[in-house]
Amino acid sequence: MTKSTITRLVVMLFALTLLASGCAKKPVAEEPAMMEAPAVEMQQEAPAVVVEESVTEMAPAYDAAAVAKAAELAAAKGLEMIHFDFDQYTLTEAAKATLVSNAGLLRAAPKVNVLIEGHCDERGSDEYNLALGEKRALATKNYLVSLGVSVGQLNVISYGEEMPIDPAHNVDAWAKNRRAAFKVKR
Amino acid sequence: MKYFKANLFIILILLFLGSTAFAARIEISAPGEQTIPLAMPRLVSMGVGSVQPAVAAEFQQVLQGDLELSGLFDLVNPASFLSDAQKLGLRRTDIDFQQWRILGAETLIKGGYSVSSGQVTVELRLFDVITQRLLTGRRYTGKLADIRKIAHTFADQILLSLTGEKGPFATKIAYISKRTGHKELYLMDVDGHQSKQMTNHRSIVLNPDFSPMRKELIFTSYSKDNPDLYRKEVYTGRESRLSLKQGLNIGGRYSPDGREIAITLSKDKNSEIYLIGTDGTIHKRLTNHYSIDVDPSWSPKGNKIAFVSDRRGNPNVFIVDIRTLEVSRLTYEGKYNVTPAWSPKGDKIAFSRMVDGVFNIFTIREDGTDERQLTFGSGSKEHPRWSPDGRFLIYSVDQSGGDKSIWVMRADGTGAKRISAPRSNDSHPAWSGRW
Repeated sequence: MTKSTITRLVVMLFALTLLASGCAKKPVAEEPAMMEAPAVEMQQEAPAVVVEESVTEMAPAYDAAAVAKAAELAAAKGLEMIHFDFDQYTLTEAAKATLVSNAGLLRAAPKVNVLIEGHCDERGSDEYNLALGEKRALATKNYLVSLGVSVGQLNVISYGEEMPIDPAHNVDAWAKNRRAAFKVKR
Repeated sequence: MKYFKANLFIILILLFLGSTAFAARIEISAPGEQTIPLAMPRLVSMGVGSVQPAVAAEFQQVLQGDLELSGLFDLVNPASFLSDAQKLGLRRTDIDFQQWRILGAETLIKGGYSVSSGQVTVELRLFDVITQRLLTGRRYTGKLADIRKIAHTFADQILLSLTGEKGPFATKIAYISKRTGHKELYLMDVDGHQSKQMTNHRSIVLNPDFSPMRKELIFTSYSKDNPDLYRKEVYTGRESRLSLKQGLNIGGRYSPDGREIAITLSKDKNSEIYLIGTDGTIHKRLTNHYSIDVDPSWSPKGNKIAFVSDRRGNPNVFIVDIRTLEVSRLTYEGKYNVTPAWSPKGDKIAFSRMVDGVFNIFTIREDGTDERQLTFGSGSKEHPRWSPDGRFLIYSVDQSGGDKSIWVMRADGTGAKRISAPRSNDSHPAWSGRW
């Protein structure tokens, strides 16, 4: 595993070197400088030549967008569902730990809107479970808000027992199905 | 035994002739001793138009199914019928009652049919064999496809004639089926025939209820990404959203006069029972508690509502007085009591109780006494709803294998019969009013 990563890195470095040398045909002497740190070079050059304002605006803005994009991606992929005990909507310690991690992802991506879906297992009455699923979704939302997530990012819906992830009729399936799941809205 | 039955029947007739109010009090759903021996020979062709034995056979099958479900009758074995069974005999003077007496029949259905250019005419008579009197006579005409409806309608008439109260056999059942892969709304006859898909939301459709006044249904659908309450006219198919508050708009139930709807809303982040108008505006909030409050069911007088709440820990059935908002607890036994359904007679409330993961159906009086278990065994029996005359309950059964079906039984739990097709994945039945 690590070996293949290293091999890949070496290949990439080699390819970069080839590209760099390809671009800079004439000044052969510049080659090592490019290899070292092109970004630093640009930053050093820019304030000297152009008006300071426009550059400081340009560079961080570009970075922020990239960071935000990365955070959004991280939130979309990293938000994990939590599980509940039978006929309960109080958060377990495990659920709280998961939500702490989810809250971090959501705080880093304030533009991401999330739909929290409350679900139940098939036992129990459908109507009661619709209300219970909503309680689960709301308990999840409230805890995230208490961890600093903006309330405007969070919407809730209850599906009761209508959308099991495991259709089996056993203890394992029921445990999986009693959940609050996160759907990132785009 | 025989003597008792004969006497009882005469009493029934006398009561009926004397006072229909008296006759209506007879508990017809009680099993056992009170069955009336009935002979039901096949419809005879009345000699006009074509002879269509299939029409007579279908009529026979439908009527027999209804009468058996009623629990009122003891059908005389057709194999023992004598020559009079072959004769039309619509007038009492044309009938050899002695033949039917020998077979032990105390009541007799005679009938004839004729079919011409797609129209069917059925003449029917119900006779008292002992007194040789005509109890009721009807002539029905309709399209060939209406033969089932004619049989159901005559079954209702037979019950009216013998007990003073019409049967519920010519009504409709609304239910939810997942046979297309999505939960959609369907309609069918009381015997499970003539099922028809009513919605095509390709989403999740839940929990239907009939308007007592119009041929109209309400139900919940996720079609617009929120569980909203919809209304649908049966014949025009016209559909509109009635209540679309943020959060739950579920378990809608028309009041007995059809002017209001009891519903669970969670617009304030917690499920509460409300009364809304048929235009969707909120008239009154009935519960105010941080616990779960769902599943409203009206008393027939329209002054109280039974509902489910976990305000004392586990889900139980409570009753709220609509005027005073006073809440009282109805169920104490068990740990999970849900889906109350108030009998249209007012005397009982049916509900389902979960024990060890399995639901069964119970009834209890409004004052919390006389709790009775109606269903037993494996497979969850849920969502009981009463027939408009209070004689029967319809409910859904979820076998442990995942096969969901709709069943009907008498109010005392006897005569349970599956009415929905195999593997059709049906649940949440609701019984219409008089159709």
